[in-house]
Amino acid sequence: MATATLFILLFLCMFIGMPIAIALGLSSIVTILACSNDSLASVALKMFEATSEHYTLLAIPFFILSSAFLSTGGVARRLIDFAIACVGHIRGGLAMASVMACMLFAAVSGSSPATVAAIGSIVIAGMVRSGYPQSFAAGVIANAGTLGILIPPSIVMLVYASATEVSAARMFMAGMIPGLMMGGILMIAIYIAARIKGLPSQPFPGVGHLMGTGAKAMGGLMLIVIVLGSIYGGIASPTEAAAVAAIYAWLIAVLGYRDIGPLKGVAWRKEGESLIGSGFRNLFMMVLALPRSATDKEVNKVIGDAVKTSLMLLFIIANAFLFAHVLTTERIPHAIAESIVGMGLPPWAFLIVVNLLLLLAGNFMEPSAILLIMAPILFPIAVQLGIDPIHLGIIMVVNMEIGMLTPPVGLNLFVTAGITGQSMGWVIKACLPWLSLLLIFLGLITYVPEISLWLPEYIDSLKGY
Amino acid sequence: APIEIKFAHVVAENTPKGKMAIRFEKLVEERLPGKVDVKVYPNSQLFGDNKVLEAMLLGDVQLAAPSLSKFQKYTKQLQVFDLPFLFEDMEAVERFQQSEVGQGLLKSVERKGLMGIGYIHNGMKQLSAYDPLKAPADAKGKKFRIQTSDILAAQFEQVGGIPLKKPFSEVFTLLQTKAVDGTENPWSNIYSKKFHEVQPYITESNHGLLDYMVVTSKEFWMGLPDDIRPVVEKSLKEAIAYGNEVAAEKTKADRQAIIDSGRSKVIAMTDAERQQWVEAMKPVWKQFEDEIGKDLIDAALAANQK
Amino acid sequence: MLSRLLHSLHWLEEAILRLLLVAITLLVFTETVLRFGFDTGLLWAQEATLYMAAWFVLFGASWGIRSGAHIGVDAFVKLLPDFPRRIAGIIAVLMGLVYSGLFVYGGWIYVSKIKMIGIEMEDLPFPKWIALSILVIGFSLLAVRLLVLLKQLITGEADGFNHADEAKESMKLADEINEEIGMNNGGAR
Ligand code: NA
Ligand code: NA
Repeated sequence: MATATLFILLFLCMFIGMPIAIALGLSSIVTILACSNDSLASVALKMFEATSEHYTLLAIPFFILSSAFLSTGGVARRLIDFAIACVGHIRGGLAMASVMACMLFAAVSGSSPATVAAIGSIVIAGMVRSGYPQSFAAGVIANAGTLGILIPPSIVMLVYASATEVSAARMFMAGMIPGLMMGGILMIAIYIAARIKGLPSQPFPGVGHLMGTGAKAMGGLMLIVIVLGSIYGGIASPTEAAAVAAIYAWLIAVLGYRDIGPLKGVAWRKEGESLIGSGFRNLFMMVLALPRSATDKEVNKVIGDAVKTSLMLLFIIANAFLFAHVLTTERIPHAIAESIVGMGLPPWAFLIVVNLLLLLAGNFMEPSAILLIMAPILFPIAVQLGIDPIHLGIIMVVNMEIGMLTPPVGLNLFVTAGITGQSMGWVIKACLPWLSLLLIFLGLITYVPEISLWLPEYIDSLKGY
Repeated sequence: APIEIKFAHVVAENTPKGKMAIRFEKLVEERLPGKVDVKVYPNSQLFGDNKVLEAMLLGDVQLAAPSLSKFQKYTKQLQVFDLPFLFEDMEAVERFQQSEVGQGLLKSVERKGLMGIGYIHNGMKQLSAYDPLKAPADAKGKKFRIQTSDILAAQFEQVGGIPLKKPFSEVFTLLQTKAVDGTENPWSNIYSKKFHEVQPYITESNHGLLDYMVVTSKEFWMGLPDDIRPVVEKSLKEAIAYGNEVAAEKTKADRQAIIDSGRSKVIAMTDAERQQWVEAMKPVWKQFEDEIGKDLIDAALAANQK
Repeated sequence: MLSRLLHSLHWLEEAILRLLLVAITLLVFTETVLRFGFDTGLLWAQEATLYMAAWFVLFGASWGIRSGAHIGVDAFVKLLPDFPRRIAGIIAVLMGLVYSGLFVYGGWIYVSKIKMIGIEMEDLPFPKWIALSILVIGFSLLAVRLLVLLKQLITGEADGFNHADEAKESMKLADEINEEIGMNNGGAR
């Protein structure tokens, strides 16, 4: 009864064009009123919890802010020029480079939507500019972005490790090869698609041009160095690194490149100016420019854009938490999982059912919430059937990746829609071909446990644990 | 319809608290079939630790067991349990909690509409860090992640450490990359949160306590029918006693599992070394004496004598 | 008069939202710099960050309606002819009003209860109910915005959540910017 109310209402609300966030929230709140004796006050409390207790999700607005500065400030243009100079002569080269960028970023970020936000907002525009169809670009990035939870470190893996008491380090190791493999598969697919579709490639511009664009792009390239360096160098957590990136992007756009803001059009060195003179003049102007950019219209417009995209995403996520809360209080996932336990399946069939269940859950809930509910139920059965807990964990994570791309609740879809300004239907269609790749990959991960288990076992044997 | 009791907690079902909740559910439903319906929600499925007490006051959760430092804004008295080196071992903790003063503390949250039913153990806290901590001087200049509590902040400041707050999702990476040097946790938390995989040294300091209080709302409790309340209370107390047995075993098992994993070196403390730490951190007692109450601190100290 | 009031409200909201986003970013940044560079921390920073994030989202939900920030699935609605589409829009807005109404009511009870019990925030020296009051404020503002949208749907000024005059509005703004800075590509995206 509760399940029916919840889902019928959700689809009805979406059908008549209600914003997704409100559709999720309204169907949840009505279900609570109709089918439980929870009070409206505690629903409000839950809403506040959903908006105020997910620190890691703050990486999303931070990266959106930093990329807003990068793209408006012309920094992105220079980065893209450089990327085209590097790999533009390979068919599909830019798309492959973007996948690589996603993998690199995934290796430091624990979150999938944050990966899409960080990389996508820069490279999608770049791909379109060099002649890729926008849907191709968006599909590639939304998919490559899911690597964020497979390539370690990963928040989802940490959640699994603590829910099942397996080692987080081993989980991380286990995600390494599958993550690289999925990245590889995506790149091969891009190459094939590029051949078939005749995607653009440009003649190699020469080393001189390459170095030139590289030097101009340095300010933007440093962003990646700063983000990765501050995490690996023990300076910041991934969320903090996102904030550092935002501040850096503001400084480089306003003070460095001066494409926007109070110093717009001000030359670093005027004709006939001495080096020292220019140094003092710049220093003086830059100090003044910091407070002045607070009232600068262009800077404010960039921040306003970031506000808009961040708000949309965070409000959906908050309502998605409420939706998951209803599923949990009504014990819908429990009931399904327990009936699977009752079926008494052999290992191979059990894994099929687990995959189907997780894919289904991924359509409606957020990964951490699914793992917290499902892992403790499925884990003991898997162990009984002789399935390695680490292997089960990787299967679950890959399922969660797919869940990020499936409607109605798919965070990567929302982020992609946000940064391309396209409709949800458009984004879903763009992701579909790549999603089928992920499904094949899931089959591979499920039935070839060695892909996940080889590395952690090898490393353990080296360290003698 | 049966009376619904929702028991919300934030840990897994296989932990002492989780097992205690399930035992309670079983006992009550055996003894009051059809009259009371207990539903246990583990893993913060219903509400997180920061919101569960508020949800209880709104009448949407009936039982919870947050850690004692979560009551900081409801009463100052329970902070006595956060003071460093106050209890010598878990036996002393148990003696104090069962004493008249300890049982009286359960009532200290009544003014805010809550009621303590009993204490459930997690265990004594250990110091973990990237470098070995032997003497208090080793903690100087080191950054420690703490849970929300003024006392815990003061405790690390006493030895020249830098207390920091970060949510769990961030802490793991921060510890791994050495952006934060160390933290404090009972054995079972170190093991379940995998901190031993990123903290090469754990000093067996037993310097503080991390326990929980099983709590209900006064309004709900007083509203229970007279023939039901005593049965619920009896079942809860039995479940708590059972949970505490499990906790003692789990502490031993997890400590051993951490040693066996080989990922972290466990450093034992001699009596003399321990005394140095006690001397270094003891000023914190004085600092919070007015807030907590001197008689309360003295009563806790007295529990160290058998 | 009313529309002037709504216009200034919109402007004020946007300024506050920008301020919140920048403040959160700066706070997390500062905390990182203090920890790494100066071996010190701000014990209140975590709580301040998280509460500001909550204010950002709950305060901004209503502003997002006006700015067309919230995405929806409009594939089906687009297939409808003009009149039924407006009817669907009106139903959607009415349901949205139910949503915000329920939250205003629930939030009110929650905030009053916390005020009555009188607890403070963990690290910041404010009564907790003040921090929570954004629930009531935010969802009330959302209701106001939805009412405006409802009126526009009835009179035919808008035909759904992404109302038509939004594009014009932003073009006007872009032109204003262009005039002021004397450039011809200033507001282009
Ligand atoms: Na990752
Ligand atoms: Na999904």
